[in-house]
Amino acid sequence: MVHFASSGDHPSFKCNAGVGCLMGVIELNDVTKTYRLGEENFNALDHVSLTIDSGEFVAITGPSGSGKSTLANVISGLDRATSGRVIVNDQELSSLDDHEMSLFRNQTIGFVFQSFNLKSDSTALENVMLPLIFSKMNPHDRKIRALECLNQVDLGNRADHRPSQLSGGQRQRVAIARALATKPMLLVADEPTGNLDSERGKEVLRLIQDLNKNGITLLVITHDESVASRANRIIEVRDGRVSSKAHHS
Amino acid sequence: MRWRDYLTLSLRSLRRSRTRSLLTIAAIVIGATGITIMLTFVTSVKSYVVNQFVQSGEARQIQVSQSQNLSFNPLGNNGGPTAPGTKIITPNIELQIAAFPHVTGVSAEIGQNGGNGIEYLVLGSTKLQPNIVGYQANHVLKIPLQAGRGLTSTDSSGVVVLTADYANALGFSGSGASAIGKTIYFHTYPGYTGVGAVLPSTLPPQVQCSQGQNCRGGPTSGLPSLNLPARVVGVVAKGYNSQTVYVPLAWAIGISNQSQPNNVIYQSSGNNQGGSGPGQVLGGWKTPPLSTFLINSNGYQSLTVKVDNSAYLSSTASRIRKLGFGAVTGQSQLTQQTNAANIIGLVLGALGLIALAIAALGVMNTMIMSVLERTREIGVMRALGARRSTIRRLFTFEALVLGFLGGFFGVAIGSVILLLGKPLIAKQFPNGTTPSLTVPLWLVAVVIALTTFIGFLSGLLPSRRAARLDPIEALRYE
Repeated sequence: MVHFASSGDHPSFKCNAGVGCLMGVIELNDVTKTYRLGEENFNALDHVSLTIDSGEFVAITGPSGSGKSTLANVISGLDRATSGRVIVNDQELSSLDDHEMSLFRNQTIGFVFQSFNLKSDSTALENVMLPLIFSKMNPHDRKIRALECLNQVDLGNRADHRPSQLSGGQRQRVAIARALATKPMLLVADEPTGNLDSERGKEVLRLIQDLNKNGITLLVITHDESVASRANRIIEVRDGRVSSKAHHS
Repeated sequence: MRWRDYLTLSLRSLRRSRTRSLLTIAAIVIGATGITIMLTFVTSVKSYVVNQFVQSGEARQIQVSQSQNLSFNPLGNNGGPTAPGTKIITPNIELQIAAFPHVTGVSAEIGQNGGNGIEYLVLGSTKLQPNIVGYQANHVLKIPLQAGRGLTSTDSSGVVVLTADYANALGFSGSGASAIGKTIYFHTYPGYTGVGAVLPSTLPPQVQCSQGQNCRGGPTSGLPSLNLPARVVGVVAKGYNSQTVYVPLAWAIGISNQSQPNNVIYQSSGNNQGGSGPGQVLGGWKTPPLSTFLINSNGYQSLTVKVDNSAYLSSTASRIRKLGFGAVTGQSQLTQQTNAANIIGLVLGALGLIALAIAALGVMNTMIMSVLERTREIGVMRALGARRSTIRRLFTFEALVLGFLGGFFGVAIGSVILLLGKPLIAKQFPNGTTPSLTVPLWLVAVVIALTTFIGFLSGLLPSRRAARLDPIEALRYE
């Protein structure tokens, strides 16, 4: 099921929040993100409206510079929309201050990056515990929870290894465990297989797909057709505008 | 985020760039070591000086002199020739001052200028300058000794306390303990009529003194020089009024030429204008009483007045000044010395602070580098839910830890250096008395707090910069 609206392509589908429109877990309403490049303004997102339901697996595709990262950033609370409303998990992001926004990212979003971004001076376990440190969980509970997450990605036996002692696929799995630590509702993965060979990439993909099947909403930014093909839905971003197509693999 | 987590994460980052962290800490250590050594030295020398003052009783003493503005020197030979119009310190004045409230005792001193007749000290072939000071041995003056005993009120004549320098010069090596019980001699000028002289009824011919010759004129000039025996009972600690010989006050007066013949009739054809003799002493010899002697000569050189409580020092001193005498309190002398120590401490401390200021720039530099290097990590932490304030605190904490470690090791290394250097420094002080040179606890706290604070200040700018990073920009940073 696709709840989709975009300015331009399908103006008739345009949703006014709360008015005759099914409430998704993620809702963008006429969102514009403008960057200033020198003298000119550049719309990375141009009046975007869309809805993503809880438990969906959405792939965001598009050429470089199309605005797909901006879209993910605006949804995940790393960036703020210039105008329009972004509602995630009943929270209107533009109304959050830095403190609340950080809490939002910590509690609601799990991030997986292309280059893993693990702390090299820390073990796998310590890396997974990091978001729990930020959420002030007590050391005992945080260790239990982190081990739980490592087990979930099949790396419970590598808890004491540093990233340099792990393979690329394992590192990305540690990163996924870290993203899961605070039990977020939404996993945002930016080219999660981009730095992996195809075999490891598939493993990682399978892992996050499994997670999705268990209920987590999945937002994957990717160039990779084979990744996108696994999504329920593909949102394509071009010049700051989105078009969406349902996809059932 | 919990405080312990800040500490853990900070220490981990510092460990990651170990060399850089160590170098940065080393710079702080240098400054902190310097400050520790300098301030410990100054404070312990200060408390040493105070201790010496308190122990010798000088902290509760007032030095009374004939003229104003003499510096404090309890036993020294410090009175110059009496200036015209100067009020002399007579025994009556001494009694008057002794009766002041809070005054617990007075000791009078008389030095070479009392006019004694000793030409030199002698032992075997060694002759020494006679810098003789007589004082009333009572509870007021306590002279620190390294051997033997001090003078007591029962000592009258024929006893002497030497300083270590005198003992050594007379051939008693080391602490001078071997001098105790030995007899040295006070060699008098020709014509000596003081204690120990045989005062004959017939005077030998007068000696004509040519210029530059060491003799005393007058009718008694024909009397022979004597060697007055003096038994050494004590040796003064090194470093205390080194060039003085102490004798009982009564003897100091007694060895003056105070006895005079009442009348002399010379035998040679009515010529009693000198140059001939021998002469007949008529009516015997007159020896003026002590008080008369003092009133007629220069009086006491000085008085040392002791009060029961240092709180009454200045009020008693000003009462004495109202009598027309100079009065310097030990306290004011002490204040001068401690002020000097303070100034030295201030100057040296300032040097240490400059070193620390340079170290602070090092910390700042390190932290700016660290922020730059870890830009992406900052982005990741922000994505994972770290607030701006979390990032700011994390880097501030790191700088603070650098400062703390620098201070800690600085104090430690400073303490070790002081411990190793103590024997060298001890040589500069009298036997057995050395400033403690232990780093006081407050200084440990102050130095560590200071370097930690400097770390904190140096970390402010870099950590603010880190906190302000845009998470997206930071994540994109290569």
